[in-house]
Amino acid sequence: MAQQALNAIFIGSIYALFAVGYTLVFGVLDILNLAHSAVFMLGAAAAYSLVVNYNQSFAVAVAGGILACVLMGLVIEYVCLRPLRRRRAPPIAALISTIGLALIIVAAVEQGRPGTLFAWLWVDGANSVRFPSDVVPNPTWRVGGLTLEAVKVAIVPVSLVLMLVLGYVIRFTQFGRGLRAVAENPRAASLMGLDVDRMILLTVVLSSALGGIAGILFGLALSDISPYIGRDNVEIRGLAVIVLGGMGSIPGAVAGGYLLGVIEVGALVLFGSNVRTGVAFAALFLMLVLRPQGIFGAQLHERL
Amino acid sequence: MDFIIQLVSDPVAFYQTHTVLIAQIGINSILAASMFLVLYSGQLSLAAPGFMAIGAYTSVLMGLYWNTPLALDLFGGTLLAGAAGFLVGLPVLRLRGVFLAIATIGFIEALTEGVILNLPITGEGLGLKNPSADPLTGINLVLISVVAVVFVVWRLTRGRLGRAWAAIRQDELAALSQGIHVSRYKMIAFVLSAVLAGFAGGLESHLNFFVDPNEYGVTRTVQVLTFAVLGGAGNVVGPVVGALFLTSLPEIVRFPNFDPRDVISGAILIAVIIFRPQGIVGRGGLAIIRPRWWPRPNRASSAAQAG
Amino acid sequence: MLLRLDSLQRHFGGVRAVDGVSLAIEEGSIFGLIGPNGAGKTTLVNLVTGYVRTQAGQAFLENDRLTGLPPHRIAALGIARTFQNIRLFPDLSAVENVMIGMHTRLRDDTVAQLATLPFFRRGQQARINDARRLMESVGLDVTEIGKRSAGELPYGDQRRLEIARALALSPRLLILDEPAAGMNPTEKQGIRELIERLNRDGLSILLIDHDMRLVMGVCRQVAVLNFGRKIADGDPETVSADPTVIKAYLGTGGEKEVAHAPGTIGVDHVPAATQVRPSRVTEPAKALLDLQDVWVSYGAINAVRGVSLRVGAGEVVALIGANGAGKSTILNALSGLVPIASGTAVFGSLDLTGAKPSTIVARGLVQVPEGREILGRQTVLENLELATWSRRDRAAARRDIEAMMGRFPILGERRALRASTLSGGERQLLAIARGLLARPKLLLLDEPSLGLAPQMVDEVFAAIEEIHRDGTTILLVEQNALRALEIADRAYVLETGQVQLTGGGQDLLHNPAVRQAYLGG
Repeated sequence: MAQQALNAIFIGSIYALFAVGYTLVFGVLDILNLAHSAVFMLGAAAAYSLVVNYNQSFAVAVAGGILACVLMGLVIEYVCLRPLRRRRAPPIAALISTIGLALIIVAAVEQGRPGTLFAWLWVDGANSVRFPSDVVPNPTWRVGGLTLEAVKVAIVPVSLVLMLVLGYVIRFTQFGRGLRAVAENPRAASLMGLDVDRMILLTVVLSSALGGIAGILFGLALSDISPYIGRDNVEIRGLAVIVLGGMGSIPGAVAGGYLLGVIEVGALVLFGSNVRTGVAFAALFLMLVLRPQGIFGAQLHERL
Repeated sequence: MDFIIQLVSDPVAFYQTHTVLIAQIGINSILAASMFLVLYSGQLSLAAPGFMAIGAYTSVLMGLYWNTPLALDLFGGTLLAGAAGFLVGLPVLRLRGVFLAIATIGFIEALTEGVILNLPITGEGLGLKNPSADPLTGINLVLISVVAVVFVVWRLTRGRLGRAWAAIRQDELAALSQGIHVSRYKMIAFVLSAVLAGFAGGLESHLNFFVDPNEYGVTRTVQVLTFAVLGGAGNVVGPVVGALFLTSLPEIVRFPNFDPRDVISGAILIAVIIFRPQGIVGRGGLAIIRPRWWPRPNRASSAAQAG
Repeated sequence: MLLRLDSLQRHFGGVRAVDGVSLAIEEGSIFGLIGPNGAGKTTLVNLVTGYVRTQAGQAFLENDRLTGLPPHRIAALGIARTFQNIRLFPDLSAVENVMIGMHTRLRDDTVAQLATLPFFRRGQQARINDARRLMESVGLDVTEIGKRSAGELPYGDQRRLEIARALALSPRLLILDEPAAGMNPTEKQGIRELIERLNRDGLSILLIDHDMRLVMGVCRQVAVLNFGRKIADGDPETVSADPTVIKAYLGTGGEKEVAHAPGTIGVDHVPAATQVRPSRVTEPAKALLDLQDVWVSYGAINAVRGVSLRVGAGEVVALIGANGAGKSTILNALSGLVPIASGTAVFGSLDLTGAKPSTIVARGLVQVPEGREILGRQTVLENLELATWSRRDRAAARRDIEAMMGRFPILGERRALRASTLSGGERQLLAIARGLLARPKLLLLDEPSLGLAPQMVDEVFAAIEEIHRDGTTILLVEQNALRALEIADRAYVLETGQVQLTGGGQDLLHNPAVRQAYLGG
């Protein structure tokens, strides 16, 4: 039971970190970036390739994984979002263009085998792989019947620090004020001299970097890296998290991430493993139907 | 290329060798028509695979337990899917845009992961065997159904009902000012869409000896959405052609070690949306690759609305 | 009585958009509803048609109670409306648009459609003919435009098509929300004739418009709204001579009496005492801002048609004219928010055609937008800090912010509060302070007095004059023509996207043509 609660916190941290990036883009742009889960996967896959196929240190791999995600962030903005803004397309259009990009990213990784077009990125096709066990030291402690793996325990402070830094930046810096200004009223923001396109670019890149970090942490802690980790593990759960917390709200996404972790582990304990994911999606559905503004009600208007 | 050459030179042999593919095209065409109905009335609902699952499981289970004839199985599955559509539509249709899309995704995932994988009667994660499946009679049924569905949907869009849907799609507020009961017409479209998806699910389960719960997830939804985006929501023929093209794509374009379908689907989604953002809400989609000689509606500029 | 409104009320947050309005419209009449921008006219229409929920009061169409009904029921009861910013179904053909209007009158034809029965085809043809007749009745050329998508029709045709679509409901009452907005005088005359003809054929019409000439010309009865309240009601002559109405439209000149309104009978001569400042009547030779033959369009609408104007360093220049004359569009084009279609626009050495909004601000052309557009979710201080975005000298910027809060003490007091808690006047001061912190060479002020109570207007104008004394050049857009002309060195009077009149502020203040541009003649 206590072990399960711990697991809820570990997994909740990853959900939260992933969802923060999701919600950041929604908060600023009012659009749902469905390529975010593919970026999550890309971060993990790139880091894995750097370690295993290019014999790089873990630090280099993390940097490389984040860089790959940042570059993909640029692609998202320049290919999927900016052309639509120029045409004043409805927000739903960006939903579809980012789904398209996600399909391409996943297909590219999935088809990376030795000798193929994408072999430089990934060679394990649709298989699930894991980081070599010595990539980071991973002492394991046993405390009162609980198993504590260092890599899992480390997720919690790493995500919390990242989210706190992000929260600080958005709350107290000039950049954060600018971001909130663009989120609230892009027209007014540009009349104050903000380069709205540049702010949006930075938002998407930042969000993608966070998604990539979440992916690397996921791959490390759950020992599971495959082209499908984004789609199967976090895409729809991420939606559930930001809906639970209120779309566009960063504190909401953090709380929603842990809440979903608790809901899932609770369902696991109460009803067994099969029901676990179903409960998350039922929560998503019910939340939207009953209280689309999320648990923290007013935050539909507050955002960020 | 062999694929197309055979189609032209020896259609009979083509039909015999590609029965499975043709049946799949038929099923996907019905799904495309289901997606078309919701898009035509201006709702991005991604719920089709959920209703499809209801149709598939219901008809297979009816056959297994009650030994009912195929027609009744299909009818039962379709009816239950329609009823589920009504029940889901009641709360969900109050949502708009992105929120409707997310809620319907939540619905299909909750249904498959939460219900189907946990009920003993559905075989849980193992799926359901369907010994009475009959691919050979099935394909004829599929082909007849496609023609019937396309005809019905096409006729529906031509009358008062279809005009109301088109009005809602283009401007809900203006539609209200014309006395159109917007929520009722949205519900009609949503339920009919569920009915078609349920019917497609029932048919598909009759073609395969096995009902696989993993077939009814988000991946399927994205696939169906691609048919509709490619085809545009102006006319039911568009999405059906989209289904035809994308389903046979892996046969037409073959690479060693490379399945181009997802990459091409993704590129299509991006390209159509960028070059015709009103694609899914207007006369769009294939319009971007429409040849010059094709009769085209006058280019609509919605710019006047922007002011 | 066809339509009876009984003290309708609707507040949005603290704003009393409609505050206890009662009206009665007789069968067969053309009833005019006028009032300055933000007076609550469109909200009133939305209450009557069910788009906005009524908070108190009731509305009746003859014996049918409208309050509480959804819009589609109200439409079915016989109230048809058009929208201020045309809402046709842009991708459907013109004929299809009109056929949708027949929705409530037609029976469901699904079965006939599925069976493709011959009688249905006859019915279909009859309906198409009906739609074509309706289009002809509003003066549209059916053979020319019938099959074209509504969205690509010329602007004037779109307006008429929307009326045809409304007529397809066979309404008992037709509500026209600014049917002549954005039209040139000839087109306006056409709309006026159309309205009169529809009325002669027995249709009751509620007409909302800013163009007083149109309203005064066709209506036998007129009601005037201001700040959500009805301030006058009666025949056009009485209403247009009513001092409160003139005041609502032209504003007041500070402490001066309403009788000084330009063109008001008997005061066309210039009282010598008011000529306190010598006005520079000619355009400056060396301009800070120089527009030559600028055109701006939104889709099919040419909002600005060949405007040339100049602003010299140190001037206060006013841009006045009725609503929809193109004033705000000019400012938005200058700020890079809407593209300039043709013509030249130069600010200092910067070519404004194609420049990014952020560059324009960084070069010192700063707009204080209409409706303030403050960031309500951020604090007053954060709003001010954001205004120094493009400045590199953070320390100096911080000092300027402190200085600004000293200059507008109310902002200093409220620095830690969310801007959404400020009153309208305080928001305007915040918006102006924000504009000043961007260190403008030229400050564009868009409707600074809009929706403000009279004392607040005085305060805002005092602030503007002070800013000008400190050396900032100002281009001022105002509905409150009197106040604007009083402080302006020069002014341009705009009508339907063109400069009709230009001259010194003091001269225009006493020119009857100005009154005409606002109130019609």
